[in-house]
Amino acid sequence: MKVGGTFYLFPTLHNRKRLLLISFLLAVCVATSCNTNLKDRVQEPAARVIADDSGKRVALPPKVDRVVSLAPNLTEIVFAVGGGNRLVGDTTYCDFPAEAKNIAKVGDTLQPSLEKIIALQPQVVLVSTASQLEVFTRQLQSHNISVFVTDPRDLDGVFRSIEQVGEILGETEKAKLVVQRLRERSTVVENTVKSTTPVRVFYQLSAEPLYTAGHDAFVTDLIKRAGAISVTADVPGAWPKYSAESALAAKPEAIILPTGGSMGEGNLTVAEPLRKSPAVTNNRVYKINDDHLVRPGPRAVDGLEEMAKALHPEVFRR
Amino acid sequence: MIAATQAGAAFAGLDSRTTPSKTLISCGALGLALLLAIVVSSLVGSEQLPVRAALCSLASFGSTPCGLTSDQFDILFQIRIPRILLAAAVGASLATAGASYQSLLRNPLAEPYLLGISNGAAVGTMIALVFFGANEWGRPVLAFAGALVATMAVYRLALGRAGATPERLILAGVIVTTFLSSVIVFVTTLMDATRIRSFTFWLLGDLSGTSTTLLPISIAIAVLGTILLSLNARSLNLLMLGERDAFDLGVEVRSVRLIIFVVASLLVGSSVAASGSVGYVGLVVPHLTRLSLGSDNRISIPCAALGGGLFVIAADTVARTIIAPRELPVGAITALIGAPLFIYLLKRA
Repeated sequence: MKVGGTFYLFPTLHNRKRLLLISFLLAVCVATSCNTNLKDRVQEPAARVIADDSGKRVALPPKVDRVVSLAPNLTEIVFAVGGGNRLVGDTTYCDFPAEAKNIAKVGDTLQPSLEKIIALQPQVVLVSTASQLEVFTRQLQSHNISVFVTDPRDLDGVFRSIEQVGEILGETEKAKLVVQRLRERSTVVENTVKSTTPVRVFYQLSAEPLYTAGHDAFVTDLIKRAGAISVTADVPGAWPKYSAESALAAKPEAIILPTGGSMGEGNLTVAEPLRKSPAVTNNRVYKINDDHLVRPGPRAVDGLEEMAKALHPEVFRR
Repeated sequence: MIAATQAGAAFAGLDSRTTPSKTLISCGALGLALLLAIVVSSLVGSEQLPVRAALCSLASFGSTPCGLTSDQFDILFQIRIPRILLAAAVGASLATAGASYQSLLRNPLAEPYLLGISNGAAVGTMIALVFFGANEWGRPVLAFAGALVATMAVYRLALGRAGATPERLILAGVIVTTFLSSVIVFVTTLMDATRIRSFTFWLLGDLSGTSTTLLPISIAIAVLGTILLSLNARSLNLLMLGERDAFDLGVEVRSVRLIIFVVASLLVGSSVAASGSVGYVGLVVPHLTRLSLGSDNRISIPCAALGGGLFVIAADTVARTIIAPRELPVGAITALIGAPLFIYLLKRA
């Protein structure tokens, strides 16, 4: 591959000179007994390999000190494991912690600018789920930038993301500590709600059109841990558009409206077909900061605590 | 294809075989089919309803629940029926608009979607959503304005020295469509993320957000628009011969053109404001009715209205049941059915 590139480096050389050059390179290669191919030599030696959530084995340099994050939850994770000083680029959605706002922006999660990412010369780009295109990954890889995909579908997946990012940044111990603390908090919540009867919850992502959380959304797991059952827990996909009549027939006992975070005010009213549900008649509609519910990052445990307290006030009252 | 329409036009112009009774029979049959489609589609959905009780309740126009639980009753009369009626109104509006554009512009490809008129209405709706989000009335009004501006723009662009030739018209439509599409893309990138989600789904044509305020307006516009266009059917028949010939035969070409443009824009505007851009309806349905019933507009316009309603109801029933309890945008289904059907029709004609 590299030899092919050499041709283009010397386009003005005559054929004979090119031949000479190639034989010279070959000779060098033979002299060094060809134990490393040229591609490997470009990358730093003894690269680490970590498997990401897409099942891909990602090669990483031994020490990572330039990272770009393409999702707000990953930015939060990078800061949580103490790698904020090595974050050289993030997205316009990344607003937490406050320092994240001052980092160079590479666009938003859906449309990041490839040029800006390459200009920032990161060693690793952290990506959330498969929101980015295959082509995008390949282009970054051709610039020797590793792409690490995370796809957490439950709270354990979030913990795994934190540990993976910690490992990438060489902050394994810190990450373990962070996960341990988060796990303790989530265990406290789960033990507290253990004695209660699970509440049947509808998670209203948006009213019109009606979107909810399906099987693959990590918030579905969060709802379960908060002592509730999402009535749409078995619907395929992460964020399905949901049938109005099925929503009406589901008769949820409580409704969760994620709102008020960085997405701004909105989603404040219950969707039309849910207005006669027991949740509305019994006044059990809860507004919860959507940053804590839609970002699979460290603050997901805040979301878990907020939901559990809203759904089971009786066991949290002291 | 152009030759075919001209032949068709000549046929239509000289056609004297059509009688009011033929109109009545064919439209009556389609009307019955539409009624049947409304009843059948109201019996299917992501939730199962007891068929007999639902039928009994439907027959009483919702005055007695006939043993339906209150939830089942609400599903039938507050969710399914309004949505089905909106589908009928949208289908009728788009199909009649398409039928009259095709005759007026003497172009078999003239269709609200392909001419960029739907996109004009979409831009209008988008402006209404961004600036008057809370006011539901802003949507149909600005959608109508957008559709009218797009219609005028396409017509102006299409006018060459030799009048609006079919080729120029389609080119003008492509230009306006792509221009307005980029306006839509530009504005959606400026919108915040939650709005984008609802907006992109709506752009593909979506009937799930049936608004109780806008439903009666959509139905009223569909009915009035169809009547107005049918009243001009005679002039449209003569216009199919060419504007000059029509003028010689006593058609007030300018005023007829203006009426058709305004009424069709109103129809497209109200349906886009209610359901986004449902494609292919204005193309497939008028062609189907013309192929089966002949190209006399006195028959094909009212029949296209009924057929359009039937087509969109069928497509939306598929959209809301095929992956239940999830849903697809109805526009995806109309295109999926419409495109192959259209190719088949072209091959056969």
